[in-house]
Amino acid sequence: MIALPVPDPAVLARRGEILAALRTIVPGGARGEGVIGDPIRLKPYETDGLSAYRQPPLAVVLPETTEQVAAVLRYCYQNNIRIVPRGAGTSLSGGALPLEDGVVIGLMRMNRILEVDYADRFAVVQAGVTNIGITQAVAGENFFYAPDPSSQLACMIGGNVMMNSGGAHCLKYGVTANNLLGVKLVTIEGEVIDIGGTHLDSAGYDWLGLITGSEGQLGIVTEVTVRILRAAEGARAMLGAFRSNEVAGQVVDAIIASGIIPVALEFMDRPAIHACEAFAHAGYPLDAEAMLIIEVEGNAAEQDFLLGKLKEICARFDPISLRVAETAEESLAIWKGRKGAFGAVGRISPDYLCMDGTIPTGELPNVLRRMGEMSDSYGLKVANIFHAGDGNLHPLIMFDANDPESFRKAEAFGADILKLCVEVGGCLTGEHGVGVEKRDLMPVQFTEQELDQQRRIKSAFDPGWLLNPAKVFPLAGNPALSR
Amino acid sequence: MQTSFSPEQLKDPDTRESNTILRTCVHCGFCTATCPTFVLLGDELDSPRGRIYLIKDMLEGGKPATPEVVKHVDRCLSCLSCMTTCPSGVNYMHLVDHARTYIEQTYTRPWPERMLRRALGLLLPYPGRFRLALRAAMLARPLRGLVPGESMLAQRLRAMLSLAPAALPDAGHAPAPKVHRAEGARRGRVALLTGCAQTVLAPSINAATIRLLTRMGVEVVVAEGQGCCGALNHHMGQHDPAMALAAANIDAWTREMAGEGLDAIVVNASGCGTTVKDYGFMFRETPRAAQAAAVAGLARDVSEVLLQFGYEPAREAPGITVAYHAACSLQHGQKITGVPKQLLSRAGFTLREPAEGHLCCGSAGTYNLMQPAIAGQLRERKLENLRRTGATVVASGNIGCLTQLGGAGGMPVVHTVELLDWMAGGPRPEALPSAPEQKIVESMAG
Amino acid sequence: MSGLLCPADEAGVVEAVRAASADRAPLAVEGNGTKRASLRPVQAARGLSTRALAGITLYKPQEMVLSARAGTPIPEIEAALAERGQMLIGEPPDFSALMGTTAPATLGGIVGANLTGPRRIFASGATRDHVLGVRAVTGHAEVVRSGGRVHKDVTGLDLRKLLAGSHGTLGILTEITLKVLPRAETQATLAIAVDSLAQGVAVLSAGLGSPFGVTGAALLPEGDAEHGLSGPTALLRLEDFFEFLPHRSSALRALLERFGTLRVLEAEASAALWRAVRDAAPLGPVGEEEAVWRLSVRPQAGPAVAAALRDAFGARLLLDWGGGLVWTAGPATAAAHEAVMRAAREAHGTFTLFRAPDALRASVAVLPEEPAPLAAIAARVKAAMDPAGVLNPGRMRAGA
Repeated sequence: MIALPVPDPAVLARRGEILAALRTIVPGGARGEGVIGDPIRLKPYETDGLSAYRQPPLAVVLPETTEQVAAVLRYCYQNNIRIVPRGAGTSLSGGALPLEDGVVIGLMRMNRILEVDYADRFAVVQAGVTNIGITQAVAGENFFYAPDPSSQLACMIGGNVMMNSGGAHCLKYGVTANNLLGVKLVTIEGEVIDIGGTHLDSAGYDWLGLITGSEGQLGIVTEVTVRILRAAEGARAMLGAFRSNEVAGQVVDAIIASGIIPVALEFMDRPAIHACEAFAHAGYPLDAEAMLIIEVEGNAAEQDFLLGKLKEICARFDPISLRVAETAEESLAIWKGRKGAFGAVGRISPDYLCMDGTIPTGELPNVLRRMGEMSDSYGLKVANIFHAGDGNLHPLIMFDANDPESFRKAEAFGADILKLCVEVGGCLTGEHGVGVEKRDLMPVQFTEQELDQQRRIKSAFDPGWLLNPAKVFPLAGNPALSR
Repeated sequence: MQTSFSPEQLKDPDTRESNTILRTCVHCGFCTATCPTFVLLGDELDSPRGRIYLIKDMLEGGKPATPEVVKHVDRCLSCLSCMTTCPSGVNYMHLVDHARTYIEQTYTRPWPERMLRRALGLLLPYPGRFRLALRAAMLARPLRGLVPGESMLAQRLRAMLSLAPAALPDAGHAPAPKVHRAEGARRGRVALLTGCAQTVLAPSINAATIRLLTRMGVEVVVAEGQGCCGALNHHMGQHDPAMALAAANIDAWTREMAGEGLDAIVVNASGCGTTVKDYGFMFRETPRAAQAAAVAGLARDVSEVLLQFGYEPAREAPGITVAYHAACSLQHGQKITGVPKQLLSRAGFTLREPAEGHLCCGSAGTYNLMQPAIAGQLRERKLENLRRTGATVVASGNIGCLTQLGGAGGMPVVHTVELLDWMAGGPRPEALPSAPEQKIVESMAG
Repeated sequence: MSGLLCPADEAGVVEAVRAASADRAPLAVEGNGTKRASLRPVQAARGLSTRALAGITLYKPQEMVLSARAGTPIPEIEAALAERGQMLIGEPPDFSALMGTTAPATLGGIVGANLTGPRRIFASGATRDHVLGVRAVTGHAEVVRSGGRVHKDVTGLDLRKLLAGSHGTLGILTEITLKVLPRAETQATLAIAVDSLAQGVAVLSAGLGSPFGVTGAALLPEGDAEHGLSGPTALLRLEDFFEFLPHRSSALRALLERFGTLRVLEAEASAALWRAVRDAAPLGPVGEEEAVWRLSVRPQAGPAVAAALRDAFGARLLLDWGGGLVWTAGPATAAAHEAVMRAAREAHGTFTLFRAPDALRASVAVLPEEPAPLAAIAARVKAAMDPAGVLNPGRMRAGA
C-alpha cells in the first residue's frame, strides 16, 4: 500500500461536528443527500480508476453550485481540514484517492452546459460535464471538443483540466491546455476567481496554463470555457498489421518523417489486440504482433490521397495486412476497441497497472524491447497500447490483486518502466498525471531543487497544504506530513 | 479488482459466480456515464461501479444487507446499459440479481414496502388476478390526486393509480393454449411466450405476432402450461416464485421440443426475453439445468425470428415517420440493436432515433411503481427526446416501455410487431391516429 | 543602468543572479532587447542579456523536436527548420519595425512574452503550447527544468507555462525545446471585400466555422494597397498539400461569396500578406509620440472595441485571430490608454500596452489589474520564484 499522511487526530475527533457543518452548507435536494458520512456508503468512494490504492474519506460532499464549493473550501480552510477533489473518479494515477481525515468534494452534480457560442467557437460548461458530453452538445452543428482521452465517455472536464488530459487525437489538436480559454477557480480560502475568459491569451502570468495539469494542488475548478472546433469534412481510419513491435515502431518513425501528420497514430501489441477485439469486434488482425491505427481527415479525395501515401509507407515494412475502414460504423468500431482498451484488458487479467510514460519516438523500438525483457524477468505479462505519434506509452502490467506478491512485482515493474522512460529522455507521465501512483518517483525526473521550486508554487496557492496533499510530491518534504 | 472471500464463502455457487464477476471489473468507471441514475443523481453510489462496490462489500462481509446498500441497489433499473458500455465484460446482471436475492433473504423491509412487493409479486404474473386489480385501480384512478403526502408510499400509490389505463381491452384476445397453423406451406414452428401483464394490457401484440408469423408460414404454438417468465419476481429478489414460474415454462416448452419440435421460442416482450435467455444460468445448479439451457438456446426476440424468416411488407410505404425507442432489455439485455430498425425500414417506415437512446425510459419492470420519482424523470427525459425526433409514432419492443411512455406523451406508442403486421396486411394499429398528417395509400402490393 | 551582462553559459546566468541577489541589485532581463519599449520600464542596476546563450542544441526532424539556447535568433531557427521542410508552429512575429529596433527577436524573448502569430487561431494553440521543455534560472540562482524533449509531459506543476509569458520576472530562460511541424507545401488566401468590421468578423467566423482548416483569419480595416485590396478586407488563409488547396479554396469560396467580392491570393502573395499581419505592419510606421496596444477579446466583440477606439482617439487598427486580436496605434496619452482599458474591460477581454514612450509606460497599468485574491497569489508566486525581487522588477506591474 502507498503511504498516506498521518491523519490529523483533531480532525478525526471532530467528525460529527464537521459532517453537520458540511450538511448545512450542502444540504442536498432532489438528487439526494449533499453529504455522505456513513462508513458503508463512504466505501465506494475509497478509490478511483486505480483500485489498487484505497482509503475511505472522512466525508464526501456533492455540491451543486460554485458557491457551495467555495463555502466548503472556506470552512475546510478555517478548520484546517484536508480536501480531495473528485470528478468522475476515472483517474489511473489515483488522483482522487481520499485521505482518512480528508473531505472528498465530488463535482459530478455540476453537469450542466451553460453556454455555447458557435460564432466565437467556445462552450462554457460546469466541471462535471463529461468530456464527450461537450462534443455531443455541439455535434449537431458539426463542432467538437478536440482532446479525447480514452475515458472520454465517463471522465469529466474538470478532471481533464486538472490532469491536462491528452487523447488519441492530440497529435493534431493538442492536449487540454491547447483547447482551454478560461476556468472558474475556487481557492482554498473560498475565493472565486475567473481565470481567462472567452478570449485567447490573457496578458499577465499564464495562470490558466499553470492551473491546467495542477492535479488539484492549486484550487478547485468548477466551470470551464473550452474552444470548440468545426469538425473536418470526414475522417477514416486504417489498420496496419505488422510482424513485430519493432517493425511497427519503425513504421511510426517513417510516417512522421514523411511530413504527413495523421490526426491519430495509435499502437497496440498482440495481447492488446486480442483483448480489444473481444470487446469491440472491430476486425482487428488477430495474427499480428503489432497493429497501428492510423487516422486521417478531410474529404473523400483527401483521405484517399493521404491513405495512399500512408499505405505506400506501410508497404515498405512487409505488413501482414492493411485495411481501410469503409464505413463510419467500421471506423467507430475501430475506435471503440481502442478507447475501451484498458477495460478490455480486464478480460484477460483480473487487474492491471497502466503506465503513462512518454519517450522520444525514436526510442520506441529500444524501449519496447527492454520492456519485453523486464516482462520476462518479473514474470508478468504486459499489454502495450499507446499514442505512438507522440511517444506516450501505456504499458498495461497484468497482475492478480488477490496475490500480494503479484501486486508488489507489478509496482516494481511499473517503476522500472518509468525509470527507463526518463533514462531515454522522456518523462514519468504524459497525460494521466502523477497522482499518488508516481509521487514517489518524482525524484527520478526532478532534482530536489526543482521539486522545492514546485512546492513553493503550491504553497503560494495553498499555504497550509490542504488541497490534495498526498499527491504529486513525495511525502518527505511535504508540509502536510509534519503536522 | 481485488476481492476477499473466504474459501468457505466460495463454496456457495452464487457467491463463487459473483466473485468471478467482481474480479472481471477493473473499476475504470466507464459504466457510470451511461447509467441513468448516475446521470440524474450524480452520486457514485447510484452508479453501476458504486453498486458493484456496495454489493462486493455486502457479500464479502456476509452479514445481513443494510438499509444503505438496499437503497442504492433498489434504485438500479437493471436496464443493463452498463453492460453495453463495460469494456471488461462484467456481468452486472448476474451480480445484481444475486444481490437482490441476497437482500430479500437477509433484509427486512418496512412493512408497507413488504406488502407492496408481495402484492406485486402475487398479482402481476397472473393475468386473471392482474386484470381484477387493474379494474379496481381504474375505479380509483380519478382519486390519485387525493393521495396526500410525499412519503415513498404515497408516491408509489399515486404512481400505481396513474399507470392504470383509462380503459382496458376486453379479455377475449388473450391467447389460450393452442396451435396456430401456418398459412400455406409450413416453413417453421415456434412457441410463443404469451406473457402475463402484456396479455391484459395489450393483447393486440400477441394477436399481431401470431397473425404475422402464421402469414409468413410459421406455425405458432401457445404451449399448455406456459405463463409468466418469472422476471417480475426475479427482479424483486423473489427467488422461489421466480424459479417456479420459469420451471413451468421450461417444462411446457421441453414437451413441445420433444414432441413436434420447435425452431424457436418467440418472446415479444423483450424484458421477458432477457430472462428466458438467462434460464440456462438461473437453473445451472438444478436438475433442470440441461432443459433450461436448451430452452434458453432457442429463445429469440420476435424481431430476430421475423428477420430469420424473411419479413417482407405487402402494403405500400405508409409515409409515416417512426421513432424507434430501443427497450433496454432488447438493446442492453439481449444486445439486439439493428434488427428492429432494419425491419421497420424494410416495412417502409421512415426511421428516427432519439438522442440518448441508450438511457432507460424508467419503466424497468416494476421500477416505475417502486421508484416513481426517478422513473418519472426518466420518462419525461425520454419523451422529450422522442418528441424532438418529429416522428408521428413511437415503436418499441417491450410492453413495459409501451405502458411507461403511452398516454400523456401525445405520441402514440405501439409495439414494433404491430406496425410490421399492419404493413404485411394486418389491421392498422388502433393506437395510430386515425388521420395522420401523411396520406396513407393502403393497397395490396404483389 | 550600468552595463549589460551577457553570460556565455547557464552557469554564468546563475552567477549573475546570485550576485544580483547578494547585492540587492536588480537585473533588467532581455534577449536582444527588441521589446525594451514594451510594458513598464524596469528599474534595474544592470542589464542581463541572454544573447550570448545562442545556438541550436538538438534538432530531430523525425521526432518534430528542436532545442535551442534562449538567445538564439528566431531567423536562425527558422532557417534550420526550413532546410528540413519544417517550421515553428507558433509563427513568431518579427516586431522590429513595430518596436523601432533592428535586431531580430530571440527564442527566449518570443517564449518569455508568449507571442504567437496568425496561426494562433488554428487548433494548434499558442507558442506556450509548443514549448515542450525549458531550462531557466530562478531568482534563487537555481536551475530548474520543466518538461523536457517529449511531446507530452504533465509531470509536476507546469512551470513551463508559468515562465512563458512572465517576461523574465520569474526566471531567466536559458534553453527551450519546441515542438515543430512539417511546413505545409503551399498556401493561399481568400480576400473578401466587406462593408464593415462587423461583417468582416462574420466572414471570418464563417470561415473558421468551416471544415476546411483555416489557419489565418484577419481583418484589414483599410485593405492593403500593395496587394490591390482597397477598403475593409477579410483574409482567410489555407495551408496544406498542393493537391488539397484547389478543393478547399473553391469550397471556402462557395461558402463566402455571399458576403462580398472575393479574390484569391496565391502562394507568394499570400505569404507576404500574412507576414505583414503577423508583424502588425498594417498599423503603419509608429511615431515617437505614439503608442501601440494589443487587445484580446472574443472575436464578436472585436468590431465594437475597434469602433470605440476609433471614436476615442482615431485609432489605426488591425484585427487578427478571427477578429479577437485587436492591434491599435494612436497617441501615447493617458486618455487613449484609458479608452483602451475601458474597451477591454467592457468586452471582458485583456490588453497590453505594447509600445509607448517611457513616460506613459511608467505611469499607467500596462496590463489589466488582477482581482485582489489573484493579485495576492501573484505576489506570493513572484516571491516563490524570485524572493529578492531581482528579476525585471516592475516590468509587468508597479512594485512587482
